[in-house]
Amino acid sequence: MRISKAGLLVVLALLAPLLVELRTVLSWINVELSVLETAVVGAVLVAIVLVWAFLPENGEDEDTDETADRNVSNGD
Amino acid sequence: MNIHTYEKVWLIAALVLIVGFIATVTYGSVGLGIAMIDDSEETVEPGELGEDERFADPRVEQVGENEYEAYVVAQTFMFSPDPIEVPAGSEVTFYVTSRDVIHSFSVAGTNINTMVIPGEVATMTVEFDEPGEYGVVCNEYCGSGHHNMEGQLHVVEEDEFDMTELSVEADDEVETGDEATIDVAVENRMLEELETTVTLEIDGETFGEDVTVAGGETETTTFTVDTADLGEGDHDWTVTVDDYEDSGTLTVVDELEEEDDDDE
Amino acid sequence: MMTMSNAYIDDFPAEAKVIRAAFYSSFFALALGGVFGVIQTLHRTGYYRFIDSADYYTVLTAHGVFLVISFTIFFLVGIFTWAVTTSLDRGVEDLRFTWGWYGLMAIGITLSGVAILAGFTDATDISASVLFTFYAPLQGHPMFYLGLVLFVVGTWLAGVDWFRSWWAWKGENPDERIPLPTFMVLTTMLMWYIATLGVAAAILLFLLPWSLGWIETVNPLLTRTLFWFFGHPVVYFWLMPAYMMWYVLLPKVSGGKLFSDPLARVVFVLFLILSVPTGIHHQYLDPGIAEGFKFIAMTNTMFLLLPSLLTAFTVVASMEHGARQRGGTGYFGWLKALPWRDPVFTGMALAGLMFAAAGFSGMVNAGMNINYLVHNTFWVVGHFHLTVGTAVALTFMAVTYWFLPQVTGKALWSRSVALGQVVLWFVGMTFMSNAMHRAGLLGVPRRTAEPQYDGFEFEAAVGSIGELQAQIALGGILLTLSLVLFFANVIGTGLNGRSDDLPANEYAGTLSGPEDAPLVLDNLKLWTAIAIVLVIFAYTFPLLSIVDRGGLFGPELNPFPVSIESVTLLAFAVEHLAVGALESLSLPGLLEVIR
Repeated sequence: MRISKAGLLVVLALLAPLLVELRTVLSWINVELSVLETAVVGAVLVAIVLVWAFLPENGEDEDTDETADRNVSNGD
Repeated sequence: MNIHTYEKVWLIAALVLIVGFIATVTYGSVGLGIAMIDDSEETVEPGELGEDERFADPRVEQVGENEYEAYVVAQTFMFSPDPIEVPAGSEVTFYVTSRDVIHSFSVAGTNINTMVIPGEVATMTVEFDEPGEYGVVCNEYCGSGHHNMEGQLHVVEEDEFDMTELSVEADDEVETGDEATIDVAVENRMLEELETTVTLEIDGETFGEDVTVAGGETETTTFTVDTADLGEGDHDWTVTVDDYEDSGTLTVVDELEEEDDDDE
Repeated sequence: MMTMSNAYIDDFPAEAKVIRAAFYSSFFALALGGVFGVIQTLHRTGYYRFIDSADYYTVLTAHGVFLVISFTIFFLVGIFTWAVTTSLDRGVEDLRFTWGWYGLMAIGITLSGVAILAGFTDATDISASVLFTFYAPLQGHPMFYLGLVLFVVGTWLAGVDWFRSWWAWKGENPDERIPLPTFMVLTTMLMWYIATLGVAAAILLFLLPWSLGWIETVNPLLTRTLFWFFGHPVVYFWLMPAYMMWYVLLPKVSGGKLFSDPLARVVFVLFLILSVPTGIHHQYLDPGIAEGFKFIAMTNTMFLLLPSLLTAFTVVASMEHGARQRGGTGYFGWLKALPWRDPVFTGMALAGLMFAAAGFSGMVNAGMNINYLVHNTFWVVGHFHLTVGTAVALTFMAVTYWFLPQVTGKALWSRSVALGQVVLWFVGMTFMSNAMHRAGLLGVPRRTAEPQYDGFEFEAAVGSIGELQAQIALGGILLTLSLVLFFANVIGTGLNGRSDDLPANEYAGTLSGPEDAPLVLDNLKLWTAIAIVLVIFAYTFPLLSIVDRGGLFGPELNPFPVSIESVTLLAFAVEHLAVGALESLSLPGLLEVIR
């Protein structure tokens, strides 16, 4: 995994504002998405992020997950 | 004091942003003429609006060629007048006050928006370029029926706009052979002269009379109807002036009873 | 008992108990406020209406007062007590005094709360459905105003408590700089003392005597102006503790140090001097206040952006420093090295991010003439759900996951649930606040039970009103779920046994320490004097002018006691009960009384 599970959760959460604002921004260039279309775009974005996150990085093995989660204590 | 270079840059950028904001707002006020609601109006007694020359009768008045004034009263849970009607292509100054608690006068989807505080008169001048119909809402909580407080603002085509008021005084009952009179008063609350036709229709017959009403004046037209031609019975009549209409019924009887005319 | 850890409760067990009491009071208010929040969301959007629309305003008053007064302020007195005792490394001077102010606050808010909640029942004519702003001539029960007074006096005494600690510490450490957390507490309290003068004057001189019938009338514009004298700085009273957390805790949980102690002091000094002389920006659209006074308030408001922009820099720089200490590299690659697994960190980071968005909508509100478009619309509700509803509330919930173990001595019930909770809050608030902002641009008003009208419809620029309503309801439900997770964690932690493996009670060190800060920054008398002078400049003439125009006690005007409604309602209720139906507690009836 390229990022930690928690990092992935946060990235997915950040898609929410991106998605709701995207509709407004697209309307400026006369692209009006319906709710369903927005949901589809959202699903595609989520899928892309998931694929990106789970694709192994070049030359890295599976214990990346552990590495990323290693330093998780309260920073002390 | 030790400030990191990046932080200095950020600080300067922040100050530029702030000064920029103040400059744009100042430009909006001075350049574009977006004035703030202010303290230019004298206070009023909210309990005595009935004696106030502007607010006793909430209305729209014409004060110049394309200039109007609207006197609006907000109270739980309504606005008057409702609807407010003004012509497109005009400049309207609103004077809004409250009879009881704090309200607002806010025209949905526009920047016409002011608080309405009892004792104070909010005033703002608005240009209406295009015709349209708008909702007026109270957006300050004013009590348990707050959500029902609404009104309408109609901006009508300039050539369809008038401030004509029609009032008709007509006989109800006359004896056959007598003349029935129908007095039609046409008030023109606009400044310019009104040229129009007063039409009376009775029993399928139409009478018309052209009238010219000077600005701010009232002209009365009197129609006399010979009841001999009408014959006994009920006769419906309609008076029309432009889009205004008034109607009633004239009863022609053989002999006028002294009392009890109601009961057949 | 052997203790292995260095948690706060180990060093200050008695103070930890006070802080726990303050936290639990705060969480109780949060729970009540949350329940009323979801009722409102569903009612307003029309998805589920089980209360009468007239009662919506009682719900709204409770939601507002419980969340922005009790939840925030009880929480912040807790963390301020922590900050002073920890950074001065000494307990409170007199524990009875500390419990005294806590007790006064608790009694005060209980009185106000009961007055508000009594609005739901017709068994008493007590009611205070006057909303958080209690604008006269709307009139609440005297108990409502009295409770607020006691609560505020409680906070004043809390400030005295912290000042006493500082004076005692200064006597023993005459040449030392004020430790940063204490400095932040003291500047915040000084701001609060000045700010609350406005609301104290409004209530004690006018509203309370008026509600008791001692004076006949009040000047609605005057009491409203005095309210906003307090009403704007109160948002900084909520925000400054959140800022404090971003300065002293966030760098630590990020794994690093605070970027700059001097700049942190500058920021708090700016808040002290600029928070109060800005209140008139809430009255841009008030008749009876001259344009010039509004312009002055706007200028001050815009300069108040400065401390927030400086904070944005310091917070991000401190996070980056922490990330690099943890092995992060690259221009943006360091973001990956941040402790996203830690709800304390993630919650604060997301809260900060949303606060940036709130800053943008705030700039629109502050722009005097753009404000016409959004004033009192749903936009404003969207705005403050990002500020107090997220920047403050989410930060407080996130740091609870750090503080709760510190003051209870018990390990957090579940870090994963906590992480889910803060992320869910962010997502829920995104949906809700985005739709609120957009609806506001269409002219949809705030503070209304049913934003739908007979004579016209709002026209959406993108999507439809129905979609906006759905988005708000969805957001509200996610936020409620998030609250449920939060309380699960608070209760779960309370049920845990005592842990001796807790992190030590520490706050962040600094890269550039107080030795870099000019001494003058610690001259609290000077900054207070400047703050007072600015307040005098900003407020003397507007207040004199308002009194001159409308009189000290205003025009002849009937009070509009919301409690009279319940008297009428009572009559109706008795009537309806007879036939076994309580439906439609009749608006026509109310209208007659009111006219």
